[in-house]
Amino acid sequence: MDTLLFGLLNGLIYGLLLFMVSAGLTLIFGMMGVLNFAHASFYMLGAYFAYTLQHALGFGPAVVAGALLAGGVGAVVERFFLRRVHHHGHAHELLLTFGLSFIVAETIKLVFGNFPVDYRVPPRLDGPAFAIGAQQYPLYRLLMGGVALLMFVLLYLLLTRTRVGIIVRSAIHKPRMVEALGHNVQLVFTGVFAVGAALAGLAGAVAGAFYTTSPNMAVETGVLVFVVVVVGGLGSLGGAMLASLLIGVMTSLAVSVDRSLADLFALVGAGAWADSVGGLLTLKLSSLAATLPFALMLIVLLLRPQGLLGEKN
Amino acid sequence: MDKKIPVRLAALPAALMLATAAQAAPVKIALLETLSGPQASTGQSFRAGVRYAVDKLNAAGGWNGAPVQLVEYDNQGGPAGASDKLKAAIADGVQIVVQGASSAIAGQITEDVRKHNLRNPGKEIAFINIGAEALELTGEKCNFYHFRLTGNAQVRTKVLVLGMKQAKALGSKVYAINQNYSWGQDMEKAIVDNAAAGGYVVVDKTLHDVNKIQDFAPYIAKISASGADNVLTGNWSNDLLLMMKAAKAAGLKADFGTVFLDQPGNISNAGDTALGHFIAHVFNGEAGGAEGARFVADYAARTGHHPVFVEPQAAFAIDMVADALRRTRPVAGALDVNAFARAMETARIRTPMGEMSMRAADHQVLLPLVVSTVAKDARYKVDGTDMGFKPIKVYSAEEAATPAQASCKMQRPAA
Repeated sequence: MDTLLFGLLNGLIYGLLLFMVSAGLTLIFGMMGVLNFAHASFYMLGAYFAYTLQHALGFGPAVVAGALLAGGVGAVVERFFLRRVHHHGHAHELLLTFGLSFIVAETIKLVFGNFPVDYRVPPRLDGPAFAIGAQQYPLYRLLMGGVALLMFVLLYLLLTRTRVGIIVRSAIHKPRMVEALGHNVQLVFTGVFAVGAALAGLAGAVAGAFYTTSPNMAVETGVLVFVVVVVGGLGSLGGAMLASLLIGVMTSLAVSVDRSLADLFALVGAGAWADSVGGLLTLKLSSLAATLPFALMLIVLLLRPQGLLGEKN
Repeated sequence: MDKKIPVRLAALPAALMLATAAQAAPVKIALLETLSGPQASTGQSFRAGVRYAVDKLNAAGGWNGAPVQLVEYDNQGGPAGASDKLKAAIADGVQIVVQGASSAIAGQITEDVRKHNLRNPGKEIAFINIGAEALELTGEKCNFYHFRLTGNAQVRTKVLVLGMKQAKALGSKVYAINQNYSWGQDMEKAIVDNAAAGGYVVVDKTLHDVNKIQDFAPYIAKISASGADNVLTGNWSNDLLLMMKAAKAAGLKADFGTVFLDQPGNISNAGDTALGHFIAHVFNGEAGGAEGARFVADYAARTGHHPVFVEPQAAFAIDMVADALRRTRPVAGALDVNAFARAMETARIRTPMGEMSMRAADHQVLLPLVVSTVAKDARYKVDGTDMGFKPIKVYSAEEAATPAQASCKMQRPAA
C-alpha cells in the first residue's frame, strides 16, 4: 500500500514537472505553429541562470530571475531570429531552433564546463515533508508540484478569462483580422514565445536544483518533452497536462512491477516455454520503465494521430 | 620580396616530407575518443590522462629516436562514428588505437581491428582499451590485438565487497541496481557472485535504461521497501548522481558501493549524502604514499589539476604501452605491430599503487585496486568541497585478480 501511494505521488509530481517544461512548447506550437527544437535549451538556461544568481540574490529570487532571463532570451530569439525566417516557412524555423539548441549547449559547456555544476536545493527546503514507515517524502518535490499546478491554473485563467487571452487566441486563428482591429500581432507572438521560454526556464530553475544542472539536461529532457506534446496533442494545454501525468505515473508505477511477458504466459501454463525462449518474453517491465513513454507515443500516433486532446486539422 | 614568400611556403611541406622520410616513420597513436556529445566529459578525461602519459613517453625519448605522435579523433559517442574514424585513422597510418569511454564503442573497434588485421597481414593495428570494462571484450570477443588496461566488473566488485566488509560497512542485505547493457549486466552478475564472499544476500536487483531516467524516486522507493542495508551499483555519470540525490531526498540510509563515484561533479552535487559511500578505483593518491604524492604533484604541474576519475588509469595504460614499445625493435625503421603486441603480453610496470602486468591468456591487465570511502579527513579534496576519498585498503594485483574467462580462445599469429 505504501509502495503504491509513494509510486503514485512520485509519478504525479514528476508528471507535473514534465508539464512545466512542455507547457511552453505546446503553447508556442499552438499559437505560432513553430516546432521549437530549442525549447529544452530554455529549460537548461533557466537552471544555469538561477545557479549563477543564487549567491547574489538567494534561492527564491534567483529562480524567478532565472525564469525571467530565459524569457528574455526567448523574446530576443523570436524578435531577431525567428521573425526573419518566418516567411520562409516552418522548415526554416525548425532548422533555426535546431541549430540554436547546439549553440546554447556548447556555450554552456564553454562557460560552465562539462560536468554538473553545484546547484542544490537550499538547506531550509531540503527536508522531508512527511514520512510513512521508513520512507520519507521530500518537501521540495511537493513544492515543485505546487509550482507546476499554480502555473497551470494561472495560464489557463490567463488564456480563457482575460482580454489578453482573447487577443492571443484570436491571433492564432485570424491574425489578419486581429491586426485590422488594431492589435499588434507581432508583439503578441513575441510575448507568447517569451512566456513559453520563461515557463521552461522556471521549470529548469526549480528542477535543476533537485535533479542535476549539467550541459546534458536539455538533451535528456528535450526528447521526453516532445513525447508529452505529441501524446497530448500539439497545441493543447490540457492535453499536455494529461499526457505529462500519464507518462509520470506510468513510468513510476512500472518500476515496481517485476513482471515479464513470461509471467503472463504462465497463467495459461506456458510459463516454462516462455522462460526457455527468453529474450523479449523474459524482459522485466521494470527494466523498460524509461522506454514506456515512447511506446505510448507510438500507440497514440497509430490510434489517434492528433493526440489525446488535439484538434483534428 | 613579396613574391618569394609563396615559393618558400610551397617548399616547406616538401622539406618536411623529406625530413620524415629520412627519419623513418614515427609511431602514430590514435585516440579514438568520445570528444563531443553528452558523454564528451568522460572522453575528455581519458584524453587528459593519455596526453599526460604520451608527453612523458616523448620526454623520455619517444620510440626509435622519434617522438610518438598522438592523433585525436572524435568518435561522436557512438559505434558508427568510431568505425568511420577508425578507417580514417588507419588511412592516416595509425598503428595503435586507444579508446576508453564506452564498452559499446570498444566492442565495435575490437571487431573492426580483428577484421582489418585478418585482411591486411603485415599492416596490423593494435587496440589499447583503457576504460571499456564489459567482460565479453576479454571473453568471447577476445583477440590478440586487443588489450584491456583497466579493471572489469568482476575485479571491481570483488575488491569493493572485500573493502566494504573490512570497513564494517557491509550489511547482510544488498540491493543491486545497474544499467541495462553489457557493463551493468556484468556488474549485476558480479554482485550476485560475490554474495558468499561478502556474507550478504541480494534482496532484489534492478536493471534500468542507460542515462534516460531523470527521476530516480520510484527506484529509491523500491530500494527502501526492500529494506536493503547497502546499494551496490556500477552506475556512472547522471545515473549515479541522480540516484544519490534521490536517495538523499527520500532519506534512504543505505551506504552505496560504487565504481565511478569519483567522476567530477558527483561529490559536489551530492553533498554530504556522499559521505560514507564507497568506491573501488584504480588510483588514490593518499594510498600511494610518497610515490602517490609525487605522481599527483607531477600530474598537477603538467595539467593544472589533480588526477581524478579515469585520468590515472589512462596514464598507467599508456605507461604500459611505453614499456612494450621500449622492448620492441624497429623493423626497417618502422613498428612491427605483431612484435609490439607480443611485447604488450609481457608488459609490466610499477605504478604508485603497486605492480601492474598484462595477463597473456586473455589480455586483461592485472592491476592493483584501492577501495576508498568519501570522508572529510581525506588528504586530497575533490570538486572544491571539503570531502575527498579516504583509502580503506589497497589490494595488490594478485589479490584483486579473478581467473581468465574460459570463453576466451586466444589466437596468436605465427611468430
